[in-house]
Amino acid sequence: MTPPTLSLADLNLTLIAPELWMILLTCVVLSLDFACPKISKPKLAYLSIAGMACITLQLISYAIDGTSGTSFGTMFILDPLAIFFKVFILLATILMILGSINALEKILYFRGEYYFLLLFSAIGMMFMVSANDFLSLFITLEFSTFGFYILVAYLRDNLKSNEAAIKFFILGALSAGLISYGVSLIYGSTGTILFQKIAEIQPEASLGLVIGLLFVFIGIGYKLGAFPFHTWVPDVYQGAPTTVTAYLSVVPKAATFGIFLRVVFGAFLGLKADWQWMIVSISILSMTYGNLTAIAQKNMKRLLAYSGIAQIGTILIGMAAGTKMGVESILFYLLTYLFANIGAFIVVIIFQNLTDKDDIEDFAGLNRRSPLMAFAMLVFLLSLAGVPPLAGFIGKVYVVAAAVNQGLIFLVSVALINMVISFYYYLIVVKKIYSLEPKETTPIHIPIPLKIAIYVSIGGVIFLGIWPKPFINAAVAATSVFTDLVLR
Amino acid sequence: MMHDHLLSIILFSPFLGATILFFIPNTRREVVHAVAVTFSGISLLLSLLLFYTFDINLGGFQFIEQTVWSERLGISFYLGVDGIGTPMVLASALLMFCGIFVSWNVKDRLKEFYLNLLVLGSATMGVYMSLDLFFLFFFYELSVIPMYLFLTIWGRHTKGYKDMKGHLNMKGEEKRESVSFFLNFNKNSKDYAAMKLTLYLSLGAVIALLGIMLIYVKTGLNTFNIIDIAEKGNLSTGIKEIAFILIFVGFAPIAAIFPFHSWSPVGYAAAPPAASMMHAGVLKKLGHFTIIRICFYLFPEATAEWMPLIALLCVINIVYGGLVAYLQKDTKFVIGYSSVAHMGYIFLGLASLNHISLTGAVFFLYADAMAMGLLFALAGFIYYQTDTMDIPSLGGLVHNMPFVTCCFVVGAAASFGLPGGMNFVGELMVFMGAWEVYPVQTIIAALAVTITWAYYFKMTRAMFFGEANPKLAHVKDASHWYERLPLVLLVFFTLFFGIFPGKFLSVIEKGVQPILARIDSIPGTAIAKQPDIPNTPGDNPDS
Repeated sequence: MTPPTLSLADLNLTLIAPELWMILLTCVVLSLDFACPKISKPKLAYLSIAGMACITLQLISYAIDGTSGTSFGTMFILDPLAIFFKVFILLATILMILGSINALEKILYFRGEYYFLLLFSAIGMMFMVSANDFLSLFITLEFSTFGFYILVAYLRDNLKSNEAAIKFFILGALSAGLISYGVSLIYGSTGTILFQKIAEIQPEASLGLVIGLLFVFIGIGYKLGAFPFHTWVPDVYQGAPTTVTAYLSVVPKAATFGIFLRVVFGAFLGLKADWQWMIVSISILSMTYGNLTAIAQKNMKRLLAYSGIAQIGTILIGMAAGTKMGVESILFYLLTYLFANIGAFIVVIIFQNLTDKDDIEDFAGLNRRSPLMAFAMLVFLLSLAGVPPLAGFIGKVYVVAAAVNQGLIFLVSVALINMVISFYYYLIVVKKIYSLEPKETTPIHIPIPLKIAIYVSIGGVIFLGIWPKPFINAAVAATSVFTDLVLR
Repeated sequence: MMHDHLLSIILFSPFLGATILFFIPNTRREVVHAVAVTFSGISLLLSLLLFYTFDINLGGFQFIEQTVWSERLGISFYLGVDGIGTPMVLASALLMFCGIFVSWNVKDRLKEFYLNLLVLGSATMGVYMSLDLFFLFFFYELSVIPMYLFLTIWGRHTKGYKDMKGHLNMKGEEKRESVSFFLNFNKNSKDYAAMKLTLYLSLGAVIALLGIMLIYVKTGLNTFNIIDIAEKGNLSTGIKEIAFILIFVGFAPIAAIFPFHSWSPVGYAAAPPAASMMHAGVLKKLGHFTIIRICFYLFPEATAEWMPLIALLCVINIVYGGLVAYLQKDTKFVIGYSSVAHMGYIFLGLASLNHISLTGAVFFLYADAMAMGLLFALAGFIYYQTDTMDIPSLGGLVHNMPFVTCCFVVGAAASFGLPGGMNFVGELMVFMGAWEVYPVQTIIAALAVTITWAYYFKMTRAMFFGEANPKLAHVKDASHWYERLPLVLLVFFTLFFGIFPGKFLSVIEKGVQPILARIDSIPGTAIAKQPDIPNTPGDNPDS
């Protein structure tokens, strides 16, 4: 094997231009914060949003031109799939920065660094969805997580926040160890770490390879928070600042799915028989455990944490199907999940800003205090539950259709029954919000940036539900990178 | 232009109204009223137009509209009505319109109430119009959630729920929130009713969804289009059988077939009147409708095979529902159980699978919608006036509310099948058709009509006649125009189509014929009969 030679000409800077711009933006935000300590922090936020909006447009133009290729040898790949996830990450980051502006006023220190850390993690994830071999997978996975370790511990006087950070860190380190061990086993059995090479060699399923794959899956399962690797999820969600929780609940998971898809379908499609059962069982366990445990929750953030575990299980159904339709359904589902979950958390953020409370009981009678927030919560929860005409319904039907096509009837039956179980706890929250009387009746004032974020999320959830065609087409385009997959 | 898009205007007018309502503040009650009345009124007028312009000579699916929604998934927004859908669209629009007036006096969050009602109404009409399995399911599932909101926000606790607070060691409020209490003992709260109804119907819905997905995948056509699937779908017998069972089990609970009926009386009793009207009137019929549309149309063989079982279950519905209704002491529970019993007659008509009984059953769908709408509206009005649903504590209401009494007697008479009402025609046709196929069941069902008579007589007498309760001296009759209009409309439609059923029957026949033709074409079975009047005497218990 010849060592890869690197010259500037090979680097093909257009491909990584979005990341380079992001790095520049991040540096500007950080140095502005240092250089002018008096600058108002919302200005930094709006600067970041403007910068990211431009970068999103650039990525969309790439998608239209069909720009694609590899850089850094073959470590970095830009293709429709990567562009899809990058746009996803940027959109979510924009939404979350909008959602954080007012919440940050409560944090007394390091407000400027908050945006820096958020952007820094976003860069990590943008590289991650472009990773094209196991080495860059490992590096980018760690790169993106560093920012979160700090963000979770952001409320440094809060015991729960510190506990959450330590839990998150230890389990994150463990999963990193598992992934690297798994990668070494895979390298040992196949002689390469490039996804594409592995796909070309079509390795036989040997014991070492399957165990290596299992370890990688477990490591990724930690990042996704799928059962039985979910133990950190509820505590971290509850302890971290809600803005961070909102971000953590959607974006890293989506990015991890981005890389997971590449590993599974880009490299190990030939071993479908060996990994399908793993995914099916993780999916069934996540859905059932997440939904059943969510019923007993008394804290809103924990409820959303467990519902998130269940949602990840549902998304994994598309993976288990292992077809183009399955991948499309994952991409589409992630979009619906983005708006619904971040939206639900934004409602929690507004409420918590005002009252410092986040128990489900405290939300009782929200409709009397703020009809918009109540309606928003209704829409987001029903979308998560999968009720038409909202986005989640289309996502669920898509996922289910992909799995039925592959004859995974048992998996689908479990998923559908879980859908009904999830109705129970989502509707209990809806009931409390709408039918009970509030203890306090002062109307809730919603700050403008959060209002925008809520409206965008509601719009997204409804639009994806009634006119999903453009988004389905985008998912189909992104899926075209997996040429070996069967259509349905 | 208008004719090309008639169905979508009918369907989306309430949605549009709901969207506008969203932006109107609750304090502007008169605007809220006006918007709700206007947009549901448009739907009602156009669905009358739809009913009268439905071409009887042409038959088949008419007013077809098709827009591709997603090529990738093979979904198109495909609307069209046949002779079965047309009257049900009319019934939905009418009940939605009446529901607006019935809930005129809702004090708490009127805007949200109307918004909910409009969404519920148009979702229901959406099911009756959809020719695409995906959208049929889409609208079906959409109709479940507004009911939950109706029950939890505007519902009422039933049967002495409030007394339950004290008699447990834990603090009443806290205990009522716990999961175990919720599932086992909390039977009389509106929350229990709401959750039970929603979970029952959602569980049914997901089972049906599995069936729909199976059809979608196994035909290999990448389409949800019902007509294409019927013509080109080449399903193996085994798949047809499984899909039939899944879809039947999925959709039958909303039609309250025994043993999946228990959600319905509880739900209706807890719901506000407009919601009970809609649900008992038209949403319940979604069950029969989807079974006819999907099971009968796509799987005639499986249908012919399974119908004898349904004929057995429906007798239980009739007798059991009737007997329980007789024992109830709550007006809405009586009407709710009578609705369960009536579903049995409709299922008997479906199970017989011949021309006259199926036509009768579909006619009964509409008739029951009118009768149930009227009765629930009146029960709601009486509750609004007297603040009670307990029949023994009512009495002698006729002195104070002659108009309401008159309407109630018409509604009750129509419901137990007095000639002149629509139910009579439907019931008679069902019995005539069923006699040929299931004589035993028909005899039991016909005898059970007496139970219906009994509980309606008992309830009417106890509520309106006899000694007046002095505590109820203050009650007023329906005197405002908005109180009388829905009652008059429903009474009018009940009597008019009961006396002149001709146009109605000819529309329905056009819808029934192609379905029976498909069942007839199965080799080796000759269940379906030609549309002749059977000349067996003595099968006419009502006359």
